[in-house]
Amino acid sequence: MMNVPNPTGRRVVFALMLCIVPFASAPVCAEDLEAKLALCTGCHGADGLPIDPSIPIIAGQEFYYLYVQLKDYKAARRENPTMSGIVAQMERSQMKALAQHFSEQKWPDVQAAVDDATVNMAQQAATAGQCVQCHLGGYEGNSRVPRLAGQQAAYLERTMLDFKNKVRLNSPAKGSLMKAYADEDVAAMAKFLSAL
Amino acid sequence: MKRPMHSMRRACLALLGTALLALTVPSSAQETSSGTLYGDMLTVSQDMLTRAAGDGNNFLHTNGNYEQTRYYPNRQINVSNVHKLRPAWIFQTEIVESMETTPIVVNGIMYVTTAFNHVYALNAETGEQIWHYKHKMGPITTYCCGPNNRGVAAYGDMVYMGTLDAKLVALDAKTGKVKWETQIADPELGYSETMSPTAVNGKILIGTNGGEYGIRGFVKAYDWKTGKLAWTFHTIPEDSVGVWAKKDATGRDMLRDIAAEKAALVKMGDPYKTLGGGVWQNPAVDLELNRIFFVVGNPSPDLDGSLRPGDNLYTDSLVAVDLDTGKYVCHFQYIAHDVWDLDAVSPPILTDVRDANGKTVPGLLHAGKTGHVYVHDRRNCEMLRFSEAMVPQENMWVLPTADGARMLPGANGGVEWSPMAINPDLRLSYAINLHQPMTYHVESSPYPEGKLWLGGAFKVIPSEEQWGNVAAVDYDTGKIRWKVKTAQPMIGGVLATAGGLVFTGEGNGMFRAYDAETGSVLWKFQAGAGVNAPPSSYTVNGKQYIVVAAGGNTQLNFKRGNNIMAFALTD
Repeated sequence: MMNVPNPTGRRVVFALMLCIVPFASAPVCAEDLEAKLALCTGCHGADGLPIDPSIPIIAGQEFYYLYVQLKDYKAARRENPTMSGIVAQMERSQMKALAQHFSEQKWPDVQAAVDDATVNMAQQAATAGQCVQCHLGGYEGNSRVPRLAGQQAAYLERTMLDFKNKVRLNSPAKGSLMKAYADEDVAAMAKFLSAL
Repeated sequence: MKRPMHSMRRACLALLGTALLALTVPSSAQETSSGTLYGDMLTVSQDMLTRAAGDGNNFLHTNGNYEQTRYYPNRQINVSNVHKLRPAWIFQTEIVESMETTPIVVNGIMYVTTAFNHVYALNAETGEQIWHYKHKMGPITTYCCGPNNRGVAAYGDMVYMGTLDAKLVALDAKTGKVKWETQIADPELGYSETMSPTAVNGKILIGTNGGEYGIRGFVKAYDWKTGKLAWTFHTIPEDSVGVWAKKDATGRDMLRDIAAEKAALVKMGDPYKTLGGGVWQNPAVDLELNRIFFVVGNPSPDLDGSLRPGDNLYTDSLVAVDLDTGKYVCHFQYIAHDVWDLDAVSPPILTDVRDANGKTVPGLLHAGKTGHVYVHDRRNCEMLRFSEAMVPQENMWVLPTADGARMLPGANGGVEWSPMAINPDLRLSYAINLHQPMTYHVESSPYPEGKLWLGGAFKVIPSEEQWGNVAAVDYDTGKIRWKVKTAQPMIGGVLATAGGLVFTGEGNGMFRAYDAETGSVLWKFQAGAGVNAPPSSYTVNGKQYIVVAAGGNTQLNFKRGNNIMAFALTD
């Protein structure tokens, strides 16, 4: 639930009336943002931590990155059967509201360990790719660039491989960069970033 | 620690300042009524800015003066006493992130900026904070290479800053309160601001970042008082094709497939709308010719030439436009149809140079990512000579490939954005260099509407050594006079002084003073974080200071910090 000031200065509950198409089935109408959020948190975690390690943390992720991803799902620039169905009927204002909500949540604490050899391998690979130029020094991202620090390792690895193998196409520069990496480098970077 | 006389002087100045608040119009004759050479010293007049090259008290321009020489005329700190240089004060900002700011000093008040667009006004003698402005950043920013800012422009009773969300903000110099702000361009399409603006003749000039995002670059001029747009010069003309140049400025073949490009042009038309060409360093200003000179960055997408047939004018070029109107005057393109991101970035310097016949002509210097210092006649932009290469060059110009082609220099240069300095008495220009071997990869993809658009990838080769240089180049001959190797690639900037010194910092935290004539290291200080910002100098109450930011660098991932460090001679 989001509180926003109305034109007279009083605060009102910002309720969204929207219809969604979960899992490509018949449309289901949710009455407000809370219902919509319940759908999101079912996979992405009520406390911000997804149970399935292949699903990304979005609590505390950058607003504009989240918004662009939702737009890209709708425009089929990024493909995922679940997400594509969910966003199919969404308006941009609804996407913005959801992105705003999740960006304001606290990033959950992920318990991940990584050995020194993996760290060395990952840091060398990240240096070669000049990754901090966009993701910044702590890999915390900014605006349209996502936070990677503390993200789920399995999700990170799959995402980088999807870019490399042209499964994910909505960031062409990322695809070109990942193409130049060995799978072992990708695995090391995923573990390293998850443990930050 | 405050001296009574100093406090009294400040109080008097404050009272005088209040009385003159209503009269703070730059470049008006009334301003000089208080009888000083440079105006009333409370506001920044056009006269002060024009005469900055001879001003041994203030530091009024990001690159020292309109000519951008970064040559400071005070010689109190010099080759014989620089070993006595010690920290006078250290100010810590709120932001621990890449620092590229040049401290601007106006009558004992210093203005510095940080990453993410904070501005601080400091007492330049003590480092005490006077005010702090934090820009309320919009939710959409698009930038590569760090959330940097290179400082403010000072004019009248205001200071000006460009922001990551592509705004120009005017602040009251006395309070830090916003006087006006204007949206320069759409950040969603890849526009952002990291350069400091340039203030001249009632105009605030600013370019744009975005060469990695398919923008259409520009330089814009705004009214200093209202923020109203005065003119726009598009760095990419609607006819960007050019002359199908096969060779670069040094005469080397760039291996272009002109026939294929011509066929592509027929098929897809002129690519000018998304061709890049950012301008993200200050223009030099020639008030006699009434022109500004700036360099234009790379074409978009960086590595993929197949989508942008033609010379891609005026990317990778020196360009001159009329100061009053923004109309094109002349240009010189260093690399036509660049597919290596070896563009023109380091700000140009205006100084007299000797032509091929030994005749002195109004010249212009630019240090390229290629590793050459280019010397021009600024009356027509023509190139007079180029220097010896300051860094290794190998396989130029091998074309990028799907699997990556190795070529030196790497895409960061050569010389990156780092401003050079000159010593006009020694007729030397001082550049800092990078040696950072890379492979260039090409992979074509259509315009992604504001997302990073490189058309491939640059990859640093981890197994190869990286290093840097501080290099002194004789701009009358193009010969390298001296060169000092550094442990890491160099990025930041240079200051030269009339004391025969050259100051520049390194990513490992070392800040050094070199003998301008020989390159001998005369002084050094370990700052604890990367010194990757251009130094400046100023004088308060008869004491000269050297000041520099030590905040590290995002682009080369040098250790971050948040310090502004001022140095002075011990008694």
